Amino acid sequence: MQTGELLNSYNVDSHTWDEMYAALAVRPQYQGVVDFLQQMSIDELNKKEELAKRLFMSQGITFTVYSSGEGIEKIFPFDIIPRIITATEWAYIEGGIKQRLKALNLFLKDVYNSQFILKDGIVPVEMIYSCPHFLREMHGFQVPHDIYVHIAGIDLIRDQDGTFYILEDNLRTPSGVSYMLENREITKRIFPDLIPRNNVRSVTGYPDILHRNLVSMSPRQTAHPTIVLLTPGIYNSAYFEHTTLARLMGVELVEGRDLVVDNHRVYMKTTAGPQQVDVIYRRVDDSFLDPLVFDPESLLGVSGIMSAYRKGNVAIVNAVGNGVADDKAIYTYVPAMIRYYLNEEPILKNVPTYQLGNIEEREYVFSNMDRVVVKKTNESGGYGMLMGHTAGEEEITRYKEEILKDPRQYIAQPIISLSSAPCYMNGQLKPRRIDLRPYALCGPDGIEIVPGGLTRVALREGSLVVNSSQGGGSKDTWVLAG
Amino acid sequence: MLSRVADSLYWMSRYMERTDGILRMLKINYASSQDDTQEFSWKPVLRIFSYLEEEEAAVIANQTRAVLQFMIADKENATSVLNIVTRGRENARSVQDHITKELWVCLNDFYHSIRDGNLSRGLQYDDPVSILDVLIRQGVHYYGIMDITMARGEGFAFINIGKYLERGVQSADILDIKFSDLQFDLSRADITYWKYLLLSISGYELYLKTYRSGFDARNVVELIVLNEEFPRSVIYSVDRLQRYFGKLKGDRNKEAWKKIDFMIGKIMSRVRYSTVESILEEGLHAYLNGIKEELYEVGIALNQHYFAYI
Repeated sequence: MQTGELLNSYNVDSHTWDEMYAALAVRPQYQGVVDFLQQMSIDELNKKEELAKRLFMSQGITFTVYSSGEGIEKIFPFDIIPRIITATEWAYIEGGIKQRLKALNLFLKDVYNSQFILKDGIVPVEMIYSCPHFLREMHGFQVPHDIYVHIAGIDLIRDQDGTFYILEDNLRTPSGVSYMLENREITKRIFPDLIPRNNVRSVTGYPDILHRNLVSMSPRQTAHPTIVLLTPGIYNSAYFEHTTLARLMGVELVEGRDLVVDNHRVYMKTTAGPQQVDVIYRRVDDSFLDPLVFDPESLLGVSGIMSAYRKGNVAIVNAVGNGVADDKAIYTYVPAMIRYYLNEEPILKNVPTYQLGNIEEREYVFSNMDRVVVKKTNESGGYGMLMGHTAGEEEITRYKEEILKDPRQYIAQPIISLSSAPCYMNGQLKPRRIDLRPYALCGPDGIEIVPGGLTRVALREGSLVVNSSQGGGSKDTWVLAG
Repeated sequence: MLSRVADSLYWMSRYMERTDGILRMLKINYASSQDDTQEFSWKPVLRIFSYLEEEEAAVIANQTRAVLQFMIADKENATSVLNIVTRGRENARSVQDHITKELWVCLNDFYHSIRDGNLSRGLQYDDPVSILDVLIRQGVHYYGIMDITMARGEGFAFINIGKYLERGVQSADILDIKFSDLQFDLSRADITYWKYLLLSISGYELYLKTYRSGFDARNVVELIVLNEEFPRSVIYSVDRLQRYFGKLKGDRNKEAWKKIDFMIGKIMSRVRYSTVESILEEGLHAYLNGIKEELYEVGIALNQHYFAYI
């Protein structure tokens, strides 16, 4: 069978924005890839897919599932067909994200200091105080360079007319960037010459920019500050990412037990005695960071690290307490923040969101459950979510009872259909729903977004949930240069 | 360097050295089992490389395929190659930013190939030598990548400290157990016995070149303990241990360094100023055991002064 047929069998749902096809014609940005695929046989494509799997396995780009005492290595499913973004689309996304991050950073500084936005009534006070991620420990503390969000992974989706929407602001410890880097490396291996021929912008600068920003956060004025990446350890599902980033930046990968605090300074335990640490890029959540301040049961953190932080002896990246800005209920107020702090109209739209803490909105949602998705405000990764159009009656009733126990912890959004992109599945091209997570880096010199990102795919037919914990996969994401 | 990282590098290296030792031992003993007039016993191998009790070992000692299965692919056996490679790889996994990517990929591939179900089937029905050869080559691949790609820094020193400590213990162990098999009666055992012992630690050819007068147990002791040119001898291993530990000398941690350097130096002089005669006078078992004990103590001291981080 030739791949010509492979493309003919691609049936796009007419109510969905497809990244490759528009009105039965290939969009120009995909033409290069389509021509390339048409030269190949199914056998060759199957071999490419096999090679991709082997490369992931061999390099240990895996996460380990432990069952019955032994570890089983799994790879995150990877689809070999790249997702392509045009230069125009990218310029728009880039502008929108920069604007949004600027406002969110100002919001964090404000909410932990003067709280003008609360006093002016833009964001209701009770929204802040009822948010579990609002940390009083951060109040009145000046973070280095006023930067709270050093690394953001903002999720975008597209509805049926192709409009981009912000789905979520991930401002705490966003993950997945190593897949942006590794997926590109895999594409280079499986499709030689395809990338240069299509004028795809490079993503390899990411670790260098991040490293430069980390150096600039150092509280000690020294040419070579000690920078560490704090990981929860090898059992964490993102461990591969932590080692990759540490390796690519040439910084030390540490666990909580490698660090110790003495006289409000953080040291790492080395073979030559303690060595002072200046900057910690942590991939451990706030609540586990310091057992003396937060969860006393935590073994992943370091006792006393918050005091060292507040004394200004160590920089923590991302800042502690960012959860108050990416909370799903606070999300509703981001457009208002942009107007308030920047006096600008938001470039990227929010998905309309109903606060279930508000009685009128709750009643509306309860009578339209089949048209909404309900989410817990402080969960991520697709957990604690209810998709109204597929849920059974009983499930909905049970979920409603849960909501009524603490309505502030829930929001609802109309179901957005998500755009689709071609995926190679068992010798055929099939449209599957995707989202996009570009990674933005903020340093003293401004915000930079590496041209690319992570495209997550809902691999199940018709599914709208792209989270890796819910059967999602990923794609290499191309941003074309002009 | 982080103490935890030094610890993991050291253990990664010890496990990989042990893997190599076990695989070579199995290969040669397999050959020996096919070349025996009487029924071949795997008991010495099981005693050196597993925790089996005398009686447990006796159950499978005469079944070659069962021993291979047990020593290579048995998940329940803590000392199987499968489990040792897994531990080596887990250690490497937690220090991926301190070894080269090539080295990590090589260890990771080794791990995946040893867990391949075909391996276990092959051990039952195919030619075991082919399988052992593939595994040994994976190990050699590891040594090669280590040599060619790793920076000669502190990490490399810890890797080699682990490697030579393990090798020294192994060589002493092999000699000790092989001779205890003969109740330390050096006049017993025929030529094939010595030949396979030497082959199993890659010392056969060197033996032939060094001693032209046929097989003598005293020469075997001399080669394995005292020959400075033999890379698996006790003296060579201790010499390398001393050399790589020397690279850790620095301004910090001075006290601990001096203490451990003294311990290694003591073992070194004990070996260097021995002759076959003096060893036999002291008693081969007592001598070898003494060296093993002292090497273990070096391991404990390293743990205390360099790796302690919890």
